[in-house]
Amino acid sequence: MADVMRSGSAFEQIRLVAGLRWRILRNSLRRKNNRLDLIGLIFTGFFSGIFVLGLCFAFYAGGYAFLSRGRLEWLAFLFWGIFLFWQIFPIFVAGFGANFEFRTLLRFPLSLGAFYIIGLAYGFADFSSLASVCWLLSMTVGAAVAKPGVLPAMLLVVALFMLFNVTLERLISSWLERLFSRRRTRELFLGIFILSMVSLNFLAPLMQRYGTTARPAFFRLLPYFAWLPPSLAGRAVAAVTQLHPGAFLISFAALLLYVALFSALPWRRFSSQYGGEELSETAAPVRAAVRPITTTDDGLDRLSLLSPQVAAIVRKEFRYLTRNGFAYLTLLLPPILILIFSMNFSGSHPTVGGKGVSADLFFPGMMAYLILILMAPAYNSFAYEGRGIQVYFTAPLRFRDVLLGKNLILVSVLSVEIALSLAMLAWRVGLPSPHMLVATCAAVIFTIVGQLTIANWSSISFPRKMEFGQMRGQRQSGMAVLVAFASQILLGGISALILFTGSWTGDLWLPAEVFVFLAAAAVGGYFASLDALTNLAERKKELLIEALCR
Amino acid sequence: MPEVAIQTQSLTRRFGNLTAVDGIDLQVTAGQFFGFLGPNGAGKSTTIKILTGLLAPTSGTIQLLGVDFATNPLEVKRQIGVVPEGLGLFDRLTGSEYLKFVGRMYGLDRATTQRRSEELLDFMQLADRPKTLIADYSHGMQKKLALAAAVIHGPRILFLDEPFEGVDALAAGALKALLARMTERGTTIFLTSHVLEIVERLCSHVAIIHKGRLVAQGSLEELRAGIAGEAGSKTTLEQIFLSIVGQDGTERPQLEELSWLM
Repeated sequence: MADVMRSGSAFEQIRLVAGLRWRILRNSLRRKNNRLDLIGLIFTGFFSGIFVLGLCFAFYAGGYAFLSRGRLEWLAFLFWGIFLFWQIFPIFVAGFGANFEFRTLLRFPLSLGAFYIIGLAYGFADFSSLASVCWLLSMTVGAAVAKPGVLPAMLLVVALFMLFNVTLERLISSWLERLFSRRRTRELFLGIFILSMVSLNFLAPLMQRYGTTARPAFFRLLPYFAWLPPSLAGRAVAAVTQLHPGAFLISFAALLLYVALFSALPWRRFSSQYGGEELSETAAPVRAAVRPITTTDDGLDRLSLLSPQVAAIVRKEFRYLTRNGFAYLTLLLPPILILIFSMNFSGSHPTVGGKGVSADLFFPGMMAYLILILMAPAYNSFAYEGRGIQVYFTAPLRFRDVLLGKNLILVSVLSVEIALSLAMLAWRVGLPSPHMLVATCAAVIFTIVGQLTIANWSSISFPRKMEFGQMRGQRQSGMAVLVAFASQILLGGISALILFTGSWTGDLWLPAEVFVFLAAAAVGGYFASLDALTNLAERKKELLIEALCR
Repeated sequence: MPEVAIQTQSLTRRFGNLTAVDGIDLQVTAGQFFGFLGPNGAGKSTTIKILTGLLAPTSGTIQLLGVDFATNPLEVKRQIGVVPEGLGLFDRLTGSEYLKFVGRMYGLDRATTQRRSEELLDFMQLADRPKTLIADYSHGMQKKLALAAAVIHGPRILFLDEPFEGVDALAAGALKALLARMTERGTTIFLTSHVLEIVERLCSHVAIIHKGRLVAQGSLEELRAGIAGEAGSKTTLEQIFLSIVGQDGTERPQLEELSWLM
């Protein structure tokens, strides 16, 4: 008989898991890079805090105003807002949140009940839940200040609403986890998700065109929303305020039913996990084919101008790019974005009437946007190398070859993207004037090459491993994000200033001349930096290997 | 005088207050099948990482085939092959793509890289899954591929960190034969393994590291001769190992302290 107490309480186990997470965080801060990462997180946390606090005031004011002015039907909108944020925001940021694998707890003598409660309890620990709880409480305070008698009912409704949201959120995330357990499915769904998010941008022009005809249809649908939890919560509070206990009980019971249903469904998922469900990444074994050696000669070497090492890295990077659904998809975005923005802002589109923007403004703006999107991964360019990073240090090559290979593939992708976007731009908006075209092209070279130098330094100094085509548990290094942010603002700002000097001074070709000079300087600086970065990589190799081989 | 393949002098590596490798003087002659042993945390992996350029020494010098690693790292790296800890594979390539990548990184021309990668995939019995990504290989298959990549450029020194761990008996037999053949042709093999039987069967020379210090080095016969008494000639490598690293009596776990388990 093992010397184990019959069972620790679920509360004790939750406390232990909280302690474990705290220790993991504290121990991770022993490393300098993780400390820098924390600074990045604090920086982000500060702005998130301002966002949450600002909306706390808004929800307080909303709760107070709707109750004191008798606009009770509007309460449901507040609940709807919180509900949508609580459920949708985690999907948006799934790629950036740290991951804690609850199933690892199953090796301990944990009852199913405790496992379930721990799972739910940690549903309250992410940003969207904390923010939503803050807003709900602010709303409750606002309502209580307006009508103190409503407080007990409001607290009951809010507690139930929180429980409903946390169970639904856990259910969605466990479904997503199941769905994303295979790489291909993960990449496919990620692609569909991003495309659907992008296509939301089409809403504005579509609403402009079809809004008036769609509105009645939307209002016809509204009554059906009344039986959904946020509306029920709003109606329950409204019923108490109007002293209609029967209506309150009906709404409250319906809300309770939802909570029961959405508590039972995650219970089933958690039971499967508790029972040892294995969401394996490995493909099922297949019978080996009869094996003739496949001769896959790559044909003529199209990269013969490059050294064998640089050519090998370019080929490898290209293969990685085409196999990474997520990265592959970002290549589709720029032309789509041009289409979207041209529909929103361009002067040539019939839907925008007087809001037209000239091609001279649209072209540099779009190029800046493209660079902003496409350059971001360059700041942590070793993210997907994994243990392969060791090859760069055991093989007979200088690290400048690695950087060159990686930068070459990025520049090629950018060139194709810019050419595609330019064609799209010419079709949708028209080409800019020659001086603006030359100035913007030179500015693009200046900002891309300038950023590449900084991004290479950032990649070596603040590496962070990321998994291919995976959403959960993927977070960039905080410092890399800050560096990217700062350099984009700096170089973008310089470029914008120079572009405007043309109109300020009246010399339209002045920006082009300045940018050509800056682009040449940036290219020179880039090549001069490669040796220094090679030395830096040699000094930082242990950090790189340690960060990427985890 | 036989050529010296690996020579270190006062090789030291510190991590903060911890001295993981403490003034090691190692000498391995060309063509030797050299086993590098030590208990967990003794400094084996740190040493092999320093010898292959994955880790910088705090002090000391390394010469491989007479070339100083610090002053001429590229020349040294051209002569060595490595199966590092964790294998160092790019797991989103196929086996064939990875071998071609490594071949080109070592400067082989395309035709040679192509031919050798096909031969190696065939030898390692990996040729029947040409489109499978390395991420979907089993651990044993990944290990075989890492070995193939380590030898594709015909290295003169081969560093292997636990090469047989997770490899099936059939493949292990073929690999041992390949490695033995390579040493016959003059390649030096520097291997770490926890399986002492394998080291005893394959290696002609052995070094034992303990708490960062080199505590024994020589041929198996020399080490046996170092064990006192007549029993020395019949001693297995395991007994030699235990007698060296556990000789102060503090290394063996004291079962009496775990009385609650018995």
